Amino acid sequence: MSTPSVTITVDGAPIEVNPERMLLPELLDKGFSIPHFCYQESLGSDGNCRMCMVEIAGKKRPQIACDTPIVTGMEIRTRGESIEKVRRDILELELINHPVDCPICDQAGECSLQDYYMEYGLYQGKVDKKEKHPFDKHIDLGANVMHDQERCVLCQRCVRFCRDVTHTDELCVAGRGDRSYITTVPGEKLHNNYAMNIVDLCPVGALTSKDFRFQQRVWFLATSPSVCHGCAKGCAIDIDHAKSKYHDDTIYRFRPRKNPEINGEFICDAGRLSYKETQTNLLKTCHIRKETLPEAEALDRWRAILTEDEYPIVVLADANLYTEELAALQAFARTLHARLYAPLEAYHDPAFGDDWLKSPQRAANSEGVKRLGIATEMPTINDNTLVINVNHPDGHRTANRIDLLTHQPDEDTGRVPARLTLPIAPWVQSSGHLINEDGIKQYCEQVLRRNDPIPTLIERLKQVTDEEYDKHFDNRETAS
Amino acid sequence: MNDTAKSTRITTVPRYGDQTADKFYLPAIYAGIKVTLGHFVRNFRDITAMETLEYPEEQPTDITPRYRGLHRLTHREDGSIRCVACFMCATACPAGCINIVATERTDGIDEKMPEIFAIDTLECVFCGMCVEACPCDAIRMDTGIFSVTGQAREDFVLDRDRLLSHTGAFETEQTRNKEASHD
Repeated sequence: MSTPSVTITVDGAPIEVNPERMLLPELLDKGFSIPHFCYQESLGSDGNCRMCMVEIAGKKRPQIACDTPIVTGMEIRTRGESIEKVRRDILELELINHPVDCPICDQAGECSLQDYYMEYGLYQGKVDKKEKHPFDKHIDLGANVMHDQERCVLCQRCVRFCRDVTHTDELCVAGRGDRSYITTVPGEKLHNNYAMNIVDLCPVGALTSKDFRFQQRVWFLATSPSVCHGCAKGCAIDIDHAKSKYHDDTIYRFRPRKNPEINGEFICDAGRLSYKETQTNLLKTCHIRKETLPEAEALDRWRAILTEDEYPIVVLADANLYTEELAALQAFARTLHARLYAPLEAYHDPAFGDDWLKSPQRAANSEGVKRLGIATEMPTINDNTLVINVNHPDGHRTANRIDLLTHQPDEDTGRVPARLTLPIAPWVQSSGHLINEDGIKQYCEQVLRRNDPIPTLIERLKQVTDEEYDKHFDNRETAS
Repeated sequence: MNDTAKSTRITTVPRYGDQTADKFYLPAIYAGIKVTLGHFVRNFRDITAMETLEYPEEQPTDITPRYRGLHRLTHREDGSIRCVACFMCATACPAGCINIVATERTDGIDEKMPEIFAIDTLECVFCGMCVEACPCDAIRMDTGIFSVTGQAREDFVLDRDRLLSHTGAFETEQTRNKEASHD
């Protein structure tokens, strides 16, 4: 079914548009730059900010494009002196009580108000700082969201998100006229699991994330497209990270990346804050039992155990590994005549799941495991079985074991120390594909390039399966 | 053998000058010696008038308010740090020698301030871009300090407290106006 189309004239040039949509989304999709605050792709238009004015031939006054239906043959002007004066005047109204404290505002650099002022404003301010009406600053709205009422343009994207998307209705507009402000409903704080999305939705610096606040200026950040590893949903994210002379490559935040097939434009708060896990408590040194030993000695040991020992071998794979890494593990297990398992039971967390973006299956690549035909049950392990545990959360039961871990093992859980523990790179320092629970395949590029890189799983496997070592395995009986 | 091989590489440079005196060179050399000799006699008569500074015993006296000396972080009227950790200086710095870590300011005076503010003076090129970029007049280079000494590289990284301890060496227009308004 093809989308219907009609021809309209924009800035003197005819274009084909879909008459079933409003004017603004069509113009934005066609690449026209029209300032707007209250219109947002996922939330639709509200018509309160009056910023998206365009001139329409035959209409006496400029109209807001977000709420104007498309009519065949309409003539629109998005540029020109008169429309730009209208925009400048509306911007001036928005900025009457705005504190213009851009240097300490976290939104600076990705602020619509700042961008529009540079593009359409550039007027001399008529309101002195002392005359501005003071509102409350740094109010904790709950759920890691900080609110600055002075910076707000009252576009109500946050209110509409809580009303229309999460249906939790925590936010409202209080007060009247130019004394209006956004606040939570009395006695309530933000309490939904998706609340931090309003920080992304906020076009200005009124809503900032308590977690990201003051950590880094946005113009220093580099963005890498990736996929959240929090659960099997596999929401598309952008990872903002920065590497400077004084600070090694560090992730500062996860932001949702638009993917209409999976997460639209949103992610859950748990996934958003999961960036911390990718860079804290990482395992960086090799261990025998609990003793630290140098990398070179550990490598010799790693090779020695695999070539000398006669145990049947079981490989336990983390179901968060990339498909490429799982395939490499399959090849590795074949070379060793070992059995490969990726038990999925340990990842099941019904308390985490909900009916939107949170899946009770916490393993990011459980579908990849299934598609590669890797066994997903927990094998029975005898005392004489050598277990190679690749970061599996449940793989630490027996003592005869080699651990390949991304994070420092938690000592409190009665974990038996492994014969050999080697660090492998966490997912942000590696790259590969993930297949989410709906079968959608997405690529994650390597995000961090640290000064102290940790070998990836594939590099680790190569350390023992290059040609020199392969011959040791040729005569071994297949472990049963 | 070798000499002939070398001699083929000799090029004859034409004599410069149109006049015979110019071509002769010696008059110009005498003129030069006359100037040198003049300075020698003048300095010999009054050794204190020499243009040489006996540094470090003798310190320069011609450091003007426009001189870009060592940086300082300025204070507000209440004596607290003026800097709001906006990173404008670090952004403008062509040497990338400013290391700032921002933190929330909890004393109610402002929202944000630097937890770490360090300038690596070994990397600094003293261009003054940080002073130009600062929206709060929080960093200045008017200390008049022109030399930094230290035993180790770390000694040249000036931290926040050291930068705050530096004082302005000159009476600026602002301080003059302030004093005038107090009178």
